[in-house]
Amino acid sequence: MTRNTEGALIVAACVLAAFAVTLVNFAQERTVDAQTALTFLVLLIAFGGLHMAVRAFAPKATPLLLPPVTALTALGFFQIYRLDFATETVRASSQRWWILIAAGLASLTLLLFSRSSISILRRYRNITLLISLVLILLPNLPAGWGFPLRGLSVNGSRLWVLLDVGFTTFQFQPAELAKLGLVAYVAGYLADHQRALREARRHIGPIAFPEPRQLIPLLITWGVSVLILISQRDLGASLLLFVGFVLLLYAATGTTGYLVAGAFLGVIAGVASYLAFDHVQRRVIAWIAPFEHYEDEGFQIAQGLFAMGTGSLSGAGPGLGRPDLIPNAATDFIFAAVGEELGFAGTVSVIALFALTIAVGLGIAFRSRDTFRKLLAAGLTFVLAVQTILIIGGVVRLVPLTGITLPFMSYGGSALVGNMILIALLLRISHEEAQ
Amino acid sequence: MNGPVRRLSIGLFAGFFALLLAVTWIQVIHADVLKADPRNSRPALSERGKERGLIVTIDGTVVAQSVPDPEDPRSFVRQYPEGPPFAHVVGYNSFLVGSSGLENAYADELRSRRDLTISDLVSVILGRDLRPESLELTINAALQEAAYDGLGGLKGAVFAIDPRTGAVLASVSSPSYDPESLLGGDAATVWESLLADPEGPLLDRATREIYPPGSTFKTVVTAAALDTGTAVPETEFPDPEEFQLPGSSATISNAGGGVCNDGQSITLLQAFIVSCNTTFADLSIQVGAEDVGITAEALGFNTDIPFPWTVPEAIYPVHLLAEDPAALAQSGIGERDVRAAPLHMAMVAAAIANDGTTLTPYLVNRIFDADGNTVETFEPRPMGQAMDPATAAVVTEMMERVVTEGTGQAAAVPDVRVAGKTGTSMGLDGLPNPWFIGFAPAEDPTIAIAVFFEASPELGESASGGGVAAPLAGDLIQLWLEGSP
Repeated sequence: MTRNTEGALIVAACVLAAFAVTLVNFAQERTVDAQTALTFLVLLIAFGGLHMAVRAFAPKATPLLLPPVTALTALGFFQIYRLDFATETVRASSQRWWILIAAGLASLTLLLFSRSSISILRRYRNITLLISLVLILLPNLPAGWGFPLRGLSVNGSRLWVLLDVGFTTFQFQPAELAKLGLVAYVAGYLADHQRALREARRHIGPIAFPEPRQLIPLLITWGVSVLILISQRDLGASLLLFVGFVLLLYAATGTTGYLVAGAFLGVIAGVASYLAFDHVQRRVIAWIAPFEHYEDEGFQIAQGLFAMGTGSLSGAGPGLGRPDLIPNAATDFIFAAVGEELGFAGTVSVIALFALTIAVGLGIAFRSRDTFRKLLAAGLTFVLAVQTILIIGGVVRLVPLTGITLPFMSYGGSALVGNMILIALLLRISHEEAQ
Repeated sequence: MNGPVRRLSIGLFAGFFALLLAVTWIQVIHADVLKADPRNSRPALSERGKERGLIVTIDGTVVAQSVPDPEDPRSFVRQYPEGPPFAHVVGYNSFLVGSSGLENAYADELRSRRDLTISDLVSVILGRDLRPESLELTINAALQEAAYDGLGGLKGAVFAIDPRTGAVLASVSSPSYDPESLLGGDAATVWESLLADPEGPLLDRATREIYPPGSTFKTVVTAAALDTGTAVPETEFPDPEEFQLPGSSATISNAGGGVCNDGQSITLLQAFIVSCNTTFADLSIQVGAEDVGITAEALGFNTDIPFPWTVPEAIYPVHLLAEDPAALAQSGIGERDVRAAPLHMAMVAAAIANDGTTLTPYLVNRIFDADGNTVETFEPRPMGQAMDPATAAVVTEMMERVVTEGTGQAAAVPDVRVAGKTGTSMGLDGLPNPWFIGFAPAEDPTIAIAVFFEASPELGESASGGGVAAPLAGDLIQLWLEGSP
């Protein structure tokens, strides 16, 4: 596949979004209006621009990554736009800005790494770590002080930062960016200590472990990050970081013991958080018996299942379902909303697009000869894959809900920015390996 | 290092595969269960504003239609142009309070299958018609309206059948309500007030409520007596002022007190003409519960009558009466434990008119598609032979005499042989429920009718079947015969 085909597919995804938005307009008794053109143009500027940045700064990168990401963003945007009519919100216009900002920052990422190489992340991994930790701690800034950067508490979770730039304010979750920095740090550390980790081994029974001393700095960093996130009640991000770390550790060392130990620790952490947090208990109840607790805990999951079941094979049609009956349809439950209006055809497409994105990411990792790039590509892809499986799995009731949003599709700027930069990093690695 | 990454990849793709299985379960295999869950309001919400089929009477009067919403040209509003007289038959389809009547019973046919989805396209390619189907009723609109007007807002019902086919000509319950009032945004409030109304406008007294049929039940006892050879019209019975109930100190007396004839004897024919209670209490015991039961059940008692909605069974408790002669005597005059809806008593009249063969009543003549092509037609369905044709002929003659010289003279129609039987049963608070059942013309009947008024203070304590129900039946028979082809 060539770069031109990539461009054509991106344009096709933009056309598809404009078409879906127009259908929503028809369903709302409106005609073709500026929204159709606006949707097309915003997505085209964002992803066409990113495509141009790839041509300029990472010309050898795989052309397979941007088209599915564009399609997912387009699908998500259509559903956010559609929900605005029912809930009388104006999320679509804010999401449009975030799509532009995220694509712009992803292009900027490509530009920054074009001067040197992605390996500066390995060389300066301690600085990356420091920046990540600062980012994670940002929401703990006082909410009331005069400084333009303030912490913000939303629904009892301290995850947000408010940036006051005078004429307007931005809210974002710095943890979404810190996630990338932490993955880069862990990948860099493991790459540097790879030989030691693989060769200096201790044996506990039949299982061989690397020398624990080699792992101590890593365990401390990781433990501190997870603890900070738990203190901020961001359990979704801590779970993601935990799983991502364990998978990366296994990928670097090939030691099955880490997976076993990780699973064991995961179960203990799960039980502990179940006992410590009542919102975790509510989510477990909703997962096990949503219909028996329809009036309270189970309402959201039950509505999600009703929505997808009513959508059945071909869906109600864009703008013709009632996804607004699901609480938080634009964020956590956007998958169910798509399932109601686009049906089984829509949900299978979404899963397939994610699977394609993940497969391309893993392919980049497989083909990388440099250890750091391999681990970084694998780590970033793991984070994306685990996030996708956890949230869709939560909506379809395979696992309890974790409060993670669906990458590229859910409403929300910080996650979109984080995930688009993640894609930019993958593209850069792909380019460097092809050189 | 690719080894562990490959193994993890397999794990991740197993995760994606699990997601695919889960959505397949939710959206394909289990979808219908989720869709049908009563807590899932989506199917009802999507029905809202969609086009539904027409409901027309056999003479072309539109009783339910969907017209484009003036405020929203893409959506439809349901109208019931004939309003209250048809409310209990047509019912309503309300987004807020559910549906009833034919709107409920034929929901699948009346529903538009157009969902504006890909599956529409597939259906069109397969040649399916997505437009709603329509119903043509057997009801005669003029008769229905006249029956409703004739009931005059009092509690009561009229049920008329074509005895040759079982086609329902009129099914009216009074008082009624405007079904369109249940379609608006205030439907729930309207529904609450209708439900609280002591007059019970939501009750379908023609087909869904059962009452003691009173002396109209004497037709059933007479048919059983003739069929079993227990008596003939000329058979003489004693003519006492009171009939002593066996094993009880209670008695049965005649309407207005006194004897029916000369105080000595009375023939069955005379007793039938003047509706003599003492004679029929006697006759009921002579025929016996089993034999009256055989005739009653063949006429539709103790039987589930197939109808668009569930009709309560008319009651003649054979086993109970076989062991209780006092109750058997009282049930001979349609009191005590005997219960029937006007629908059942019209079926009795229709069976006598139809040489003793009972027919299943049907309300929908045919279902037709949006182009007017017939999709399904309904044929007369015999339920069985309730009595010997000779018995039917004799009962017909006796019923004619009721109208010419007996209690049912108010049902007489000039130049028409009308057969009928009056009844006045014990209703609420000891007030009377007037009844009349009959058919015409006696030589070749085209209409069988049951007219019923429910006991009420407005009707008074002296109302009788002959005085209140018979005149309305006569008017409706006349109207039908003048208008019928």
